[in-house]
Amino acid sequence: MPQLAIETSCDDTCAAVLDGPRVLSNVISSQAIHEKYGGVVPEVASRHHLELAVPVVEAALAGAGAGFDDLDSVAVTAGPGLIGALLVGLSTAKAIAAPRRLPLIPTDHLHGHVAANFLEPDPIEPPFLCLIASGGHTMLAGVRDHRGFEVLGETLDDAAGEAIDKAARLLGLGFPGGPALEKLASTGDPGAFDFPVAMSRDPGLGFSFSGLKTALVYLCRDLGEEGTVERAPDLAAGFQAAVVDQLATKVRRALDAEAWPAVALGGGVAANGPLREAVASLCEQRGIPFKQVSRELCTDNAAMIGSAARYSEPLAYPEYLGFDAFATGPRGSR
Amino acid sequence: MRIVGFDTATDDTVVAAMDGDRLVFEESVPPADRRPVHSQALLDLSGRAAEALGGWDEVERIAVGVGPGTFTGIRIGIATAAGLATTTGIPAVGVSTLTALAHSIASRAEAERLMPLVDARRGEVFGCLHDGAGEPLEEPFVCGPEELAERLREGALGGAAPLAAGPGAVRFRDELLRAGFETEPDGSPVHRLDGRPFCELGAAADPVGPETLKPLYLRIPDAQLWLERDGKNGRRTDGPQGG
Ligand SMILES: [Zn+2]
Repeated sequence: MPQLAIETSCDDTCAAVLDGPRVLSNVISSQAIHEKYGGVVPEVASRHHLELAVPVVEAALAGAGAGFDDLDSVAVTAGPGLIGALLVGLSTAKAIAAPRRLPLIPTDHLHGHVAANFLEPDPIEPPFLCLIASGGHTMLAGVRDHRGFEVLGETLDDAAGEAIDKAARLLGLGFPGGPALEKLASTGDPGAFDFPVAMSRDPGLGFSFSGLKTALVYLCRDLGEEGTVERAPDLAAGFQAAVVDQLATKVRRALDAEAWPAVALGGGVAANGPLREAVASLCEQRGIPFKQVSRELCTDNAAMIGSAARYSEPLAYPEYLGFDAFATGPRGSR
Repeated sequence: MRIVGFDTATDDTVVAAMDGDRLVFEESVPPADRRPVHSQALLDLSGRAAEALGGWDEVERIAVGVGPGTFTGIRIGIATAAGLATTTGIPAVGVSTLTALAHSIASRAEAERLMPLVDARRGEVFGCLHDGAGEPLEEPFVCGPEELAERLREGALGGAAPLAAGPGAVRFRDELLRAGFETEPDGSPVHRLDGRPFCELGAAADPVGPETLKPLYLRIPDAQLWLERDGKNGRRTDGPQGG
């Protein structure tokens, strides 16, 4: 029986219908409005979620050729994320489930990024190492079973995607900055400027990107407005190389510490070509498989929430009526 | 008509059910530790309201307060109403929280004109002048107590001073009294928002449907304000951006 999944933790309003690991529909309504703000504005995001939630759910059902009568459960992101945004999806999901006495499956957003790898086609089985990098999170997850993951390392300051967006803004590339920065970087020389090799001497698996951002701010200041425009390709290339290097270095170090039999990527930054190449070549050296989910399943989506929900605790009616969202989740194993 | 009505635009979670003109359920849950409990309480209460009518299968309409009030509260209410409506097929309709409050006031006090006020934070109130029966006489507004006093002084609110009531009147009672508004002591039931008028107004509403579930924010997001005013990007935090 199909399951409905809803995800509204940031700026994408998402709903999906799944039958086990099979994705029957996966609707993502991105809120282009944030472009003019140069970043996601929580209040703006919440307002749009409210307008889009029911239409996106209806589109997901239509896309799957299913009706509410067909559903056997409703999965929803309970956190972490923007609290006002989460509450729109959670209120919608609870209200859809309750009159039908359907179970509700509150799901952890980060578990969702991990669980995108369990979806068909080509699901992979734990154990594996998963790097999740997006505008909201940067984390190395040790995935030992389907039910959760162990946080092996996470960012001490900015998320990787956040740093990339800030860099893109400094270089006048608009928001979201990832694809534009990658394109510009492909025409530049990554060795033209010295970027700090952040965290590479730190023996742990933590990440830090604020130093890179500061370095870019100073470089742009020294170059002046015209100079920055002129050297933007080299700046973009150097910055991107430093971000990718740090991410790949930590993956390598995690593989040194423990013999993970496979590596997977998740989050919006996982769509970055050079990052994929770096991790792929690392895996090739080690002779282990590298799992790349499609771009659609990398970025925020509801299919991944449905996937995580298969291995999460369902709440029977009426247990979930009082269930509330959480902005930040408990850290560590879950 | 069998109708379930609720509102989460103020700090209270307010729910009622009516069968014709018979009130069969009415409950209101105040904040816990000064935090509204909308997300925890609303669905349970509205389910019990529906039970009082024989279950969702028997409910003919859902009415929800669309504000003005707290943004998050309004969204929890509307998202819940829209979710219930889409899954059950029951038509839903939006009701002004201020007009419902005016009806609550009218049921408890005699006055020629009513000024229901909801605390808008930032030293302001949401309000809207209503007649003594609770019919709106103007568009809802947001302003500070000084501006309200100004309007009263200029005669823009009619001859006699309106009766100001509701959470916004409690918040600015001293300022309102000084300006010449009528109001009642803080504990007076006249300030209380009932669930009943959401059902009454919802049952009388026409048209009904998702297009009426538009939130009444009355304020644009700060970021948009800054963007329009300064032309600069209005991003305010470096918080998580997700993705
Ligand atoms: Zn994410």
